[in-house]
Amino acid sequence: MTAAKFDELIHPSTRLSLVATLAAADWAEFAFLRDRLGLSDSALSKQLATLEEAGYVATERRISGSRRKVRARLTPAGREAFDGHIAALQAIVDAAHPADGL
Amino acid sequence: MDAIASEQARASLDAAEHARRQVTEEIGLPPGYWWAMAAGWLVLGACGAVLPWLAGIAAGLFGAGHAVFASRLLTGRRRTRQIQVSASVAGRRIPVVVVGMLLGLVAVTVLAALALDADGAGHASIWAGGLMAVVIGFGGPDILRVLRGWARA
Repeated sequence: MTAAKFDELIHPSTRLSLVATLAAADWAEFAFLRDRLGLSDSALSKQLATLEEAGYVATERRISGSRRKVRARLTPAGREAFDGHIAALQAIVDAAHPADGL
Repeated sequence: MDAIASEQARASLDAAEHARRQVTEEIGLPPGYWWAMAAGWLVLGACGAVLPWLAGIAAGLFGAGHAVFASRLLTGRRRTRQIQVSASVAGRRIPVVVVGMLLGLVAVTVLAALALDADGAGHASIWAGGLMAVVIGFGGPDILRVLRGWARA
């Protein structure tokens, strides 16, 4: 059972979607994340950099043919923070609707 | 932490779930796998028409090829080169569903060949193999998606 811990860094909607996507994958390519989240290259780069600074995401740059590719994955710390944040959100919802769980 | 309303928390949970569902939609096998399967089906059909004993050997090689080359793909976690779905999301039933689907298709192929043969068609096994090759090549991903839904895999 993950301890509920609201995370201000993860909470903004774009970042939450990004972390939730990475939480469901071992890794994802930059292009996949950009297309699924509907972000520009620069916007996604900025979000990944913020999460990487916090130690939540690790990125790996690779050369594939003539193209440079970036692959991102959630770190154990990022996964723990995400799980804690989801648990905190669930606790807020449960507290507001205690009868729903019955 | 700033107190947030339960509606906002619910919306955030929904957004996270939506992101997770988008990843689950990536579960499957690469398009190349289905076309390789379709080609294999055609070869098996042709072998069955020319030399039935050769079809047995070809079927054995087909199974061995699956065991060696497709075993990593059968987890359903590498449909594209853009993402690897986590094992916890993909679950463990995908290989069972794929193998079950293939066995089902073999049965349908045999039944189709018998029906065509009974109808007097020449080269019934080639026709049946060709028919199933088209079904697998074009419809394989969709058939798997439906079966996954039934098996909740």
